[in-house]
Amino acid sequence: MKIQTCEHCKKSYSIIAAAETLGQQQFIKHQKRTRQTIFWSRILLFAAFLALWQIASELGWIDKFYFSSPSEIGALFIHDIKDKSLLNHIGITLFESGISFLLIILFSLLIATFFWFYPSLGKLFEPFLIVLNSLPKSALAPLIIVWLGTGLRTIILCGMSVGIFGCILNLYQSFSQTDPERLKLIETLGGTKMQAFTKVVFPGNIPTFISLSKVNIGLALVGVIIGEFLAGRRGLGYLIIYGSQVFTCDFL
Amino acid sequence: MQGNPSNKSFLRLEHVSFSYYSVLGEVSVLSDIHFHVEKGSFVALVGPSGCGKSTILSLISGLLKPVGGYITFYSDDFNAPKVGYMLQHDHLLEWRDVYHNILLGLEIQKTKTPENLALVDELLEKYKLSDTKNKKPSALSGGMRQRIALIRTLATRPDLLLLDEPFSALDYQTRLRISADVRDIIKSEQKTAILVTHDISEAVSMADVVILLTKPPCSIKDIIPIEFERNGISRDEVRTSKLFQEYFDQIWREMQDENTDM
Repeated sequence: MKIQTCEHCKKSYSIIAAAETLGQQQFIKHQKRTRQTIFWSRILLFAAFLALWQIASELGWIDKFYFSSPSEIGALFIHDIKDKSLLNHIGITLFESGISFLLIILFSLLIATFFWFYPSLGKLFEPFLIVLNSLPKSALAPLIIVWLGTGLRTIILCGMSVGIFGCILNLYQSFSQTDPERLKLIETLGGTKMQAFTKVVFPGNIPTFISLSKVNIGLALVGVIIGEFLAGRRGLGYLIIYGSQVFTCDFL
Repeated sequence: MQGNPSNKSFLRLEHVSFSYYSVLGEVSVLSDIHFHVEKGSFVALVGPSGCGKSTILSLISGLLKPVGGYITFYSDDFNAPKVGYMLQHDHLLEWRDVYHNILLGLEIQKTKTPENLALVDELLEKYKLSDTKNKKPSALSGGMRQRIALIRTLATRPDLLLLDEPFSALDYQTRLRISADVRDIIKSEQKTAILVTHDISEAVSMADVVILLTKPPCSIKDIIPIEFERNGISRDEVRTSKLFQEYFDQIWREMQDENTDM
């Protein structure tokens, strides 16, 4: 009963806290103020940076040609949004990143699961994966172009190549670090290895899985942009290369 | 106990031995373990830590195979008896609520029948844990968690319960209370149980028979029947009784002999 009320108060803790003593109220107020101060300071800092940049380029402290200025970037951004070219490129890049991300997750999950079921296979492939993971992946991109040409497939494969090896390694490692006592529990209940996986290993690693996913969304984007640098005719990576080749630094 | 098995015999270990193999060579863990367990009795295995007590349980449950000797179950029908295990930690899965943690064993054994589900409800009701049903294990105290773990084991209707130091992760106060609770639950469900512990007082307070083991390679040093009821001592008075102290001292002395032998 005691615990029940306690759980209840956890759920509606802000309401109860509001009805708490004066000291509690002040504590909450203080915390809120600290959070707000930090939030507004961040915005202020960013604005100050932009303002300094703008002033520096206006007054000629830095060369406008190389460093551009926030106002020009803003104007160009609005212009490109209006003629939809930028949105189009962003859309393509996001689409490609999304596909490579999903493929990374799918393949990592399959392969890591497979390795967990057959640990000797896992041991066999681990050193190779470590080598592949530490390769500079952008060096792979030209090779992929040679193999697959300069299409969507190449870019997606580039996107995958950055994250996938690390993802497999991490997932396999966290699978195999499952508490052996828990596996023993399943064993004592008469469970099979498959049941150990579905009841304990996989659900127990969902937090790892989510954090790996977060990292890999970013990595897929990096990989896709590298792919577009080299093989794209559309997308953000292509735009960046284009911008640097024609020296439009405001564009970058 | 050690002599001829009576017709109430449930489990018999005959000259069981076991060794682990490692790179450094063969390590003999058990040698000539020989005892039998009567149906419905509560046996405690006590011995110095690292003497292979848990190994005996693994052998009985069939997780490990003995290197020598025989392990025989006696049952009324020809079905192999079902063994339930209770480990040192409760290992409740934090992503399941209490109820679904209890169902884990039934799910694995694919026996989620209406009767078994009713048994779960009955056990929860009986041991006053019904209101924890939809909670996450993290909201429970250590003692409650261990009782939930016991119900998870009981839900699979085991014929034999193996308790592998199930209280060692609890603090002393909780330990006294929960060990008494668990004993009551096991006795009222009329289960046969084997408890492994290094805590002499725990063994004496819970068991009907204490089997004292030697240092590794572990063999049986002594078998001591614990008879409080026969001497007119009720369960509540056990820990404060003079007899308790006598048993404790006897076991303590024998374990000390063991240490000086080294």
